Amino acid sequence: MMGIRGWGSVVLIIVVAVMLALPLVVKNSFAIEIFIRVLLFAFIGSAWNLLGGYAKQLSLGHAAFFGLGAYTSTLMQIDLGISPWIGMVTGAAVALMASLPIGWLCFRLRGPYFAIATIATANVLMLVFLKFRDFAWGAEGTTIPNLGHAPLMMQFETKIPYYYIVLGLLAIALLVTWWIERSRVGYYLVAIGEDEDAAEAVGVDVPKVKRNIYMISAFLTGMAGTFYTQYIYFIDPQTAFNFNISIEAALVSIVGGVGTLWGPVIGTILLETTSALLQSWLGNSIGGVQLTVYALILMAVILWRPTGIMGYLVEMYGRRIHTSPAEAG
Amino acid sequence: MLETIVQAVINGLLIGGIYALVSIGVTLIFGVVKIVNFAQGEFVMVGMYITYFLATQFGLDPILSLVVSMPVLFVVGVLIQHTLIRRVLGLNDLPQIFLTFALSLLLMNLALMLLTANYRTVHTWYSDEALHFAGLYVPVAKLIAFILAMFLSGLLWVFLHATDLGKAMRAASQNREVAQLMGINPHRVFAVALGIALALAGAAGSLLMPFYPAYPLVGQVFVLMAFVAVVLGTLGNVIGALVASLLMGVAESFGIQFIGADSGLIVVFLMLLTMLAVRPGGLAGGRRR
Repeated sequence: MMGIRGWGSVVLIIVVAVMLALPLVVKNSFAIEIFIRVLLFAFIGSAWNLLGGYAKQLSLGHAAFFGLGAYTSTLMQIDLGISPWIGMVTGAAVALMASLPIGWLCFRLRGPYFAIATIATANVLMLVFLKFRDFAWGAEGTTIPNLGHAPLMMQFETKIPYYYIVLGLLAIALLVTWWIERSRVGYYLVAIGEDEDAAEAVGVDVPKVKRNIYMISAFLTGMAGTFYTQYIYFIDPQTAFNFNISIEAALVSIVGGVGTLWGPVIGTILLETTSALLQSWLGNSIGGVQLTVYALILMAVILWRPTGIMGYLVEMYGRRIHTSPAEAG
Repeated sequence: MLETIVQAVINGLLIGGIYALVSIGVTLIFGVVKIVNFAQGEFVMVGMYITYFLATQFGLDPILSLVVSMPVLFVVGVLIQHTLIRRVLGLNDLPQIFLTFALSLLLMNLALMLLTANYRTVHTWYSDEALHFAGLYVPVAKLIAFILAMFLSGLLWVFLHATDLGKAMRAASQNREVAQLMGINPHRVFAVALGIALALAGAAGSLLMPFYPAYPLVGQVFVLMAFVAVVLGTLGNVIGALVASLLMGVAESFGIQFIGADSGLIVVFLMLLTMLAVRPGGLAGGRRR
């Protein structure tokens, strides 16, 4: 008889196998695009979740790191001819460095005011990139030169390689989360999320733990920025620092279940599937439909299921374990 | 040069009056209910569309439509308190922040969906009028908006200090438990606070309409300004929010005058971040709640 852990590994292996085989079976490029979006936002959501879900530092400014990652790799590629693969890591490092001053400022505030301060930092960065034209193309942005099939420059002729890249990124984020969840730091984060003052009182170095998790979260989000720019072959301040990126990072985690490994993944699947369905029914002609529906889902989750879908699943699963002997008897 | 500076100060003060109406609302809700209303700007937007509708359908002057927009939004505020906010009181930060945040997203995108992204303007006989003296220029519509905004702020101050309900609200904001022990019904007080705050946002919408276009995302400009002003003026403090809003207006106006037309917001954000850097102690309410 296998334990829960054993079944868990079987399910995981099946999920991984399905994810790896998916582009070989599904040839529809619209479907592949949706898969890439789901994986990308699950990745960004997982990065957000480390800070927002476990430590409950509710950032609404993760677009800052996304944009910095995107701009760093693009500047390196266009001005210096350096491969975006190197640019992705450098961009992520820039995002990580940026999280230090941003965190230094914003962690002085708590709760809603932390959220507002992070909105302000992302906005300042966007306005700076809009304003200083000589530095990075200003408001017009730039297209990434298309080199055709150039794997070393992260450019491919089909969408399938992008799928595997972002799948790999998500796998990294999930492994990092899994590892942190089980480490001492994971418990520190949850303690901070529950009550900062109490965590401090029992000897957790709160500022240091928050700083470190912010750095990891920013690093991962920066990588997403490079990937996205390479994927759409275009960058401008409005796309790179778009507030919707900050919103969606938080939303997928909250809907899926904050502070859980799979929450952001499940949340993204739900939200992005809904959005793809809406798009295919209504087309792109009516603006605002997608976010209206997202807002309604978010409200419903907050009012009726504050622990998100994961919380609901855990509750259902737990009930089954408890009631099954009675049912059997 | 001096003239340019004085002109920038005047421009800043005039728009600062509108910012004051929005930030007083935010600070009132925060002080009494202990919730940050991310959707406050969207109620300005609702106020603007109500005013636009009344002006185009019935030819009602935007200033006169205050008598409609304010009561309507007061009722909306009471309803929102009873149906939504009441349910997340006493919970942790996450539901409290994201409930009003979701409300803001919902209102913005509903407006985008139903009313399109087009800019809507109302032209009145005083929209293009201006007073000229000593080389200075004061647009009449903005002057009227400023005067009425100050009048409404003053009225609120009198209400908070001279009426029983107002005193109950101040008591609830100072110490909720003790206020409750003194027989103050918190839910009634909360509902009135939400109602008044939204009525002020509605008033801001009506007053803006003669010189500012309505569009679905218009609230964002005002809510960001209000957040900065509210933090600057110490949270939950009405007079502080008023003074800070006027300052924000002047700072933004200096940014526009001396750096460039699109840099007003940069100046405002930089002010917020600088303030966080140099005197986080001044943000008492933001650190300990």
